[in-house]
Amino acid sequence: MKLTKLFIFCFLSLFFTIYGQAQDLVVKGKVYDESGLSIPGATVLLKGTNKATTTDFDGAFEIKSPSKGILVVSFIGYTTVQQSVNGKNSLTFRLKSQSQDLNEVVVVGYGTQKKSVVTGAISSVKAKDLEKVPNGRIEQTLQGRVSGVTIAAQSGQPGAASTVRVRGLTTFDTYGGNNPLWVVDGVIVDSGGIGFVNQSDIESIEVLKDAASLAIYGARAASGVILVTTKKGKSGKISVNYTGFTGVSAPEKTLKLLNATQYGALMNEKSVAGGGPILYSDLTALGKGTDWQKQIFSNDAQRSNHEVSFSGGNDISTFFASFSVQDQQGIVSKPISNFNKKSIRLNSTHNLSKKIQIGQTLGYTHQKGVGLGNTNSEFGGPLSSALNLDPITPVVITDPIVSNSSIYTSNPVFRDANGNPYGISSIVGQEMSNPVAYVNTRLGNYNWSDDFIGNVFAEIKPIENLKIRSSMGGKIAYWGDEAFTPKFYLSPTVLSSQNSLTRATNQTFAWNIENTASYTKNIGSHDFTVLVGQGVYIDNNTRGSYVAHTNLPVNDYREASFNFPLPTAQRVGASYTSQEHRVTSLFSRLNYSFNEKYLFTGIIRRDGSSNFGPNNKFGIFPSFSTGWVVSKEGFWKENKIVNSLKIRGGYGVVGNDAIAANGFLALIDGGRNYTFGSAGSTISSGNSPSAPANPDLKWEETSQFNVGFDAKLFNDLNLTVEYYNKKTIGILQYVDLPGYVGATGSPLGNVADMENKGIEVELGYRKKMGEFNFSANGNVSYLKNEVTFLGQGKEFITNGVAGFQSMGEITRTQVGQSYNSFYGFKTAGIFQTQDEVNAYTNAAGGLIQPNARPGDFRWTDTNGDGTITNDDKQFLGSPLPKFTFGLTLNLDYKGFDLMAFAQGATGNHIFQGIRRLDILNANYQTEALSRWTGPGTSTTYPRLTNNDTNGNFGNSSDFYLEKGDYIRLKVVQLGYTLPSSFVNKVGAQKVRFYVTGENLLTLTKYTGFDPEIGGNIMGVDRGYYPQARTFMFGANVQF
Amino acid sequence: MKTINIKLLSFVTATVITLGSCSKEYLEVEPKGTNLESNYYQNQEQAFAGLVAVYDVMRKNSGGFENMITMMNAGSDDHYAGGGGASDGAGIQGFSNYSITANIMPSSLWNDHYQGIFRANYLLTKLSSVPMDAALIDRYTAETKALRANYYFNLVRMFKNIPLITVPMSTSEFYTVVQSAPTAVYAQIEKDLTEAITNLPTTVSTSESARFTKGAARALLGKVYLYQNKNTQAAAELAAVNGTPGGTSQYGYRLLTNFGDLWTVNNKFNTESILEVAHTNASSIGWENWGNGIDEGNSTNVMCGPRTYSKIASDAPDLPSGWSFNVFTQDFYDFIKLDPRFATTVLDMKDLQARGKASYIGGYQDTGYFLNKFIPRRSDVTTGTGEPVLNYRQNSYVIRLADSYLMEAEALGGTGARAQALLDAVRARVGLASTPVSLAAIKAERRAELAGEGHRFFDLVRWGDAATKLASRGFKAGKNEVFPIPYKELQNTKLVQNPGYN
Repeated sequence: MKLTKLFIFCFLSLFFTIYGQAQDLVVKGKVYDESGLSIPGATVLLKGTNKATTTDFDGAFEIKSPSKGILVVSFIGYTTVQQSVNGKNSLTFRLKSQSQDLNEVVVVGYGTQKKSVVTGAISSVKAKDLEKVPNGRIEQTLQGRVSGVTIAAQSGQPGAASTVRVRGLTTFDTYGGNNPLWVVDGVIVDSGGIGFVNQSDIESIEVLKDAASLAIYGARAASGVILVTTKKGKSGKISVNYTGFTGVSAPEKTLKLLNATQYGALMNEKSVAGGGPILYSDLTALGKGTDWQKQIFSNDAQRSNHEVSFSGGNDISTFFASFSVQDQQGIVSKPISNFNKKSIRLNSTHNLSKKIQIGQTLGYTHQKGVGLGNTNSEFGGPLSSALNLDPITPVVITDPIVSNSSIYTSNPVFRDANGNPYGISSIVGQEMSNPVAYVNTRLGNYNWSDDFIGNVFAEIKPIENLKIRSSMGGKIAYWGDEAFTPKFYLSPTVLSSQNSLTRATNQTFAWNIENTASYTKNIGSHDFTVLVGQGVYIDNNTRGSYVAHTNLPVNDYREASFNFPLPTAQRVGASYTSQEHRVTSLFSRLNYSFNEKYLFTGIIRRDGSSNFGPNNKFGIFPSFSTGWVVSKEGFWKENKIVNSLKIRGGYGVVGNDAIAANGFLALIDGGRNYTFGSAGSTISSGNSPSAPANPDLKWEETSQFNVGFDAKLFNDLNLTVEYYNKKTIGILQYVDLPGYVGATGSPLGNVADMENKGIEVELGYRKKMGEFNFSANGNVSYLKNEVTFLGQGKEFITNGVAGFQSMGEITRTQVGQSYNSFYGFKTAGIFQTQDEVNAYTNAAGGLIQPNARPGDFRWTDTNGDGTITNDDKQFLGSPLPKFTFGLTLNLDYKGFDLMAFAQGATGNHIFQGIRRLDILNANYQTEALSRWTGPGTSTTYPRLTNNDTNGNFGNSSDFYLEKGDYIRLKVVQLGYTLPSSFVNKVGAQKVRFYVTGENLLTLTKYTGFDPEIGGNIMGVDRGYYPQARTFMFGANVQF
Repeated sequence: MKTINIKLLSFVTATVITLGSCSKEYLEVEPKGTNLESNYYQNQEQAFAGLVAVYDVMRKNSGGFENMITMMNAGSDDHYAGGGGASDGAGIQGFSNYSITANIMPSSLWNDHYQGIFRANYLLTKLSSVPMDAALIDRYTAETKALRANYYFNLVRMFKNIPLITVPMSTSEFYTVVQSAPTAVYAQIEKDLTEAITNLPTTVSTSESARFTKGAARALLGKVYLYQNKNTQAAAELAAVNGTPGGTSQYGYRLLTNFGDLWTVNNKFNTESILEVAHTNASSIGWENWGNGIDEGNSTNVMCGPRTYSKIASDAPDLPSGWSFNVFTQDFYDFIKLDPRFATTVLDMKDLQARGKASYIGGYQDTGYFLNKFIPRRSDVTTGTGEPVLNYRQNSYVIRLADSYLMEAEALGGTGARAQALLDAVRARVGLASTPVSLAAIKAERRAELAGEGHRFFDLVRWGDAATKLASRGFKAGKNEVFPIPYKELQNTKLVQNPGYN
C-alpha cells in the first residue's frame, strides 16, 4: 500500500518537474524528523493541485507556489504535515514518526479494516516485503515472514509446491484438508493450485489464523485462509516498471559417500560378517571410483526472471497490467529438471458514476516444466540412484571387453557421445540405475498448465454509508503432460522393452458468485459496520483424458509423434469426470467500535456442502472477538515504554468439508474384477457394495480460542503476541472398520479429535539515524499438536501413516501424541561384547535379545516383558517443528540498501532414510566408517553385516531419526539506487541495481541434503531434492 | 448514467434472486458412473457383476504382495522368506522365522477373504429376486456358496478362531460379532459346498473357465473333510473327482503327460486343473492398484524371481529380474536334487552363476535355489501398458489332480490297492518307479510333487509334523499352527486373540 503511494508520489513529482508551469513564488525548504535529522525522499505537494516534488538527500526541496498556497509534506512512516506558504520563500517542516500500524489497512475477507481496530489474528505481508525476495512460488514468500505458519518446500525442483500449515495440523490429511484455503482477489482457488500467482503482482497477502477472522469463510476455513490481493492501478500518470534478475544456481552441499576403496572394504566386512566371502581382494585397485553425485549435480543451473508492468489511471478508470517470464533450471540432472512460467495480468476499475464502480481482475499463467520423475522416493530416480549406487561401476564403459559383453550388446543401452555405453552396475540392482543414462529416459518430457483466474465486480453505493457489491469469479485450469519413454535398458531391473508416447490432458472449472451489502453508521462515538452476504461456490468440475501409444516405429523423443498410424491395440486411453463440489453460504458480520477503544466483531456463517449427508448438509459457524485499546483509556499515562496497547480475544467455530464426494452414500463400486476363459485375456467387471452409508456425515468443526495483544514499545518497537488453543472435533476420516465386516471401501465418518496450542510473537523495529535507516522484523511461533481422540476404545490408527521400504510404518497416530509421530524402537547403545549380550536378560533369566551379536543395537524393552517385539516400539519424536522463526533485517544508507532474511525451524525430527535397506550392497555415507568394529569402537553406529538378524538397520528406530533444527540465511540482497538527479536526465524515475544470494548458508546438524522437507507427513527424507543456492544480479527501473 | 444505474441494480438483484435459494436440492449432486446400493441387482447383468466381485478374491492365492502362495511357502521347511532384507515384508519374514505377531500379521489375508464373504452374503440375499432365468439363479447361488466355502476354508485354516458371518450385517452389529467354534465354520463350509454341488455345472465352456464346477466343489469338499480327519467322506468325494488313477475321470480330469507342462503359462485350465486361479496381463495395473480388485496379475512371479538377473550365456534362461522371495532351503534342495521334478521345481542360480552362464545379486537368505514353477520368463513380460512386474499372467492351482490323488491316498490311510495306484500314477507321470504306499511315502510325494505351491505348511500342520519339521525355524507347538489375528481386528471388538499371541 505504502509502496504504491510512494510510486504515485514519484510519478506525480516526475510529472510536475517536467511539465510544471511558472508560479509566483519559488519556495525553498527543508524537512526534518523529530530528532532534527533531514528526511530525503519526502513528498512535498501543493495542496489542491497535482504539483509536487521530493526532497533531496539533504532533505531540501524547491517548489513553485502561489504566495497563499499550502504545502503538504508526507513521508512513509511519518505523520503528514501541512503549512501555509504565506509569502515566505523558506519553510521548515518537522515530521513526527507515526506508528505505522495505526493507519495500515488489512484485508479481512469481504472488505478491509484498519489494523488498529482489528480484533482477530491476522498476519500480513505487503508488496514491499516481497519485492526483494527472488520471484519464486508464492508459498515461499510467506516462509519465515508470518508467525503461525509452517512452510516447507516439497522439493528443490524448480516450480515445486510447498507444504503450508496454518497453526499446526487442523485435521488428518484424508483429502488435503490441512491445506489452507487460498482466496485470490475474492476467488476461492482449490488447494494446491496456487502456483500460477506471479509474486510481483501481489499487493498484499493476509493470513487469517484465528476462528474469529476465519469464520467469514466458515465452510472451508478451518485450516486457515490466505487472502491474496493483486495490484491495482492508481489514478495519476502511467507508470512503467521493469524488474528482473538473472542468476546461477548450485547445490548448497553434497553428501559424503564412501569412495570405491572404502566401499570395497566395508562390503568385504559386511559380507564376511554375514557368513559370505571376501568380495574385493584388492582394495587399492578400486581407487576412488565414481562420484555419482558429481554426475548429477550442476553448478551452473540458470535462473532468470523478467517482468514489466504498467499502471495508471484517472478519476474514472485505473488499470494495472503486467507480463512476466520466469525461467529456472534445476541443480539435479539439469536436462530433465527445469521450469518456465509466463504470466499476464490485467486489473482495472471504472467509476460509472460517483455511486457505481465496476472492475475486474484477470490473470493468465502458463507453466511448463519437467522433473526427475522420481524424487524423495527410495525407489529409483537420479538422486536415490546417486546415493545408493556402488562407486565401483564407472559412469561410462571404456573397456572394450566389458562394452562388448552381451549385457551391453544385446540390450538397448544408452551411450555417450563417443558411442561408449553408460555403466550398468552388477553390484547394486533393483530400481537403482546409472543416473546419467537415466536422463535419456525422460528427455523431451514435460508437464504444463494454463490457468485463467479472474473476477468481475460491481459496487454500488445507492445511499450514503451503504455499499452493495456483487462479484463473480472463476478459474479455468488446463493441465497435462506429454512423455515419451524410449525402449531402453538401464539395468536388468530398470528397463522398458517397448517405447511409449503418452499424453494426459485435464481441465477444471470453478466459479463463485458472492453478493454482499455493508452498511456503516456512526452515532457519536459508536461506529457500526454491518455486512450481510450470500455466496455460491462450485468447483471440482474436472475432467481429463489419458492416451498412450506404444511401440512407435521410432525410438527418439524428437521423432516421436501421435501421428504414426498404429493398430488400435497399441493405442490405449482412459478418461474420467469428477463430481462437482458445491457450497452455498449465507454470512453476516458486525463490527462495532466505541471511540476505537472498545472493539467487537461478531460473525455468523451458514454453509451447505454437497459433500455431506442429508441429515447434516448445513453447518452454522459463529464467532466473536473483542478488543480493548487500553492506551486510549483516560487512566493510561503516556509513557516512553509502552506507547500503545491493544488487547484482543476471540472464539469461534469453523468447518472443513475437504472430503471425497458421495462419502455419505452406500455405493456399488466396480473394479472387483475377475478373468474368465481359457484364453486368459477377458476381464469381467465385478461390482459390489463398498461401504455402509453414513447419512449422518457432517462438518468437521474446529473451534479456536485466541488471545493476543499489539503493543508499541519505546517508540520504535511493535510487538504482537498471540496465544491460541484450537480444537478440531469430528475429524473427517475413513473409518477403520474391523476387517471381518468385509467392506472393501471404508465409510467416511466424523472420527477423531485433535488439538493445537501455540504462541506467536511478531516483533518489528525501525530506527532512523540521519540518512541511515534500519529496520528489523522477527517472528517466532511455538506449536504443540496432540491427537486427543480416535474413536471409542481406539488407542491408535494406522491409516495415513508413513511407511518406509520394508520397515512398515515409521509413524503412528496415537492419542496423546502429535499426529503421525515417528514410531519405532529405542536404542540403548551397542553391545560391545558377547558378555553384554548375555547379561541382557529378563526376569526368567532368558536373553532379551538371543539373536544379538557384539556390535548390534541393544533395544529398549519398553514394556518390560523380557523380549523384544513390536510392542516395544515407542514414540521417538514428531516431524512437526515445535518452533518456527524468521528474521528480516533492512538497512539503507543514501543510495545503498541491504536486506538479509533468515528463517528456520526447531524441535522436529527427520527420518534420514536415503539408503535402501533391501539392497545389501547399496553405498553408505561416510558415517559408516565410524561403525562398530570391535569393543569400544562405537556406541551409536552398529556393525555391518549381510545377515542383520538383530534388525540394526531393518527396524524403524531412533537410529534413523535426526534432529531437524536449522536456521537458513535465505536471502541477502545488496542494492544501489542511482541518484535521481542522474536518472531523471534519462527520463527514468528510479534505477536500482542489486545482487542477491539465496540459500547462502544453512546451519544444521542434519546429515541429509536439506533439513526442510515438506509433504503431508513432513520430515521423511528418502533422497530429497535439495534447494539450490543461487546468486543473482538484477535491476529495477521505473519510468 | 441513470440507465446504467438501473441496469446494474437489476443485474445485482437478479443474481441475488437466482442464487438466493440456498436449497438442499442445489447441494444434491447426482453421483455419476456408479450405482446406489439400494437400487442395484435389478437384472442378470448386474447379478453377474455381483458374482464376479465374489470371484475377485480368488486372486488372493497368487495375487498381491501377501498372496497365499508366497506367505504359506515362507513358513514351510522348504523355503525361506527371502526378499531384499530381514524386514522385506515384515509379515512374510515373521512367518518364516516364527516371530510373527498380531502387529505384523498381514491383515489382507484376513480382510480380503472377508471381503469375498461380504460380497457373497450380500449377493445371496439379492439373487432370488433378480428377474432372470431360475436355473441361472441356481447356478449363481451355487457358485457364490462354493466361493464362500473356499474363503472360509482359507480363513479357518489360517486363523482357526474366526467370526462366522453368513448374512449382511447392519451397522449396529459391527462391533458385537464374536468368534465361532471351528467346527461350526467347517459345518457351514460343508453345507455351502454340498448345496453348491447340486447346481454347479459338470463342465464349463472355454469362455467360462475359472468358474466353479461340480468337480472343483467336490474336490474342495474332499479336502475340507480331510482337514477334519473325516477320512471316509474325504476319500469318497475325492474318489469321485479322481476316477481311475491315471485315467480320465468323470469330470474330464487327467494327469498331464509332461510334468513341466503344468507350468507353461499358456497351458491354462488343462486337464489336470481342478480349481484354478486366473491371472492376466490385460488389467494393465500399476503400483497404486497392486493387490486390489482390478489387479488381475500374478504377483508370485516377480516375487520369486532372482534379483538383478543378467543372462550371460546364450543357453541360460532368458529371465526378467525379480525380488528373490521364497528361495528353497538347502534341506529341500538336498531332498529334491535327484528327483526328475528337480529342474522344473528349482532354478539353480547357484549353478548358473558358478558356471558363468548368468549372474544375479543374492537377496536375503539367498541359497541360490529359486522357485522355478513361478519364475517369470522374458516372454511372459507384458507388452501392454501397466507396470510389467505386476502384470504377469500365469495362473495358479488351488487344487490339481495330482494333489487330489495324493489327498485321496492319504484319506485312505495310506494303505490299499487304490492308495497304491493313486501314488503310482503321480510317480509314473514323472518316470518314477512304484514305491510301496504308506503315509510316509505319500508325505514325501506331496513334498516333491507340490513343492512351492503353498501346501506344505498346511500339510505339516495337518499331519502333526509341524512341530518337529519347523522346530529349527522357531515354530512353537500349540501356537504357530495358526496365525495371530491381525491387531486391528481386536481393537474395540469382541474378538479374542489366538493362544500364544497375546
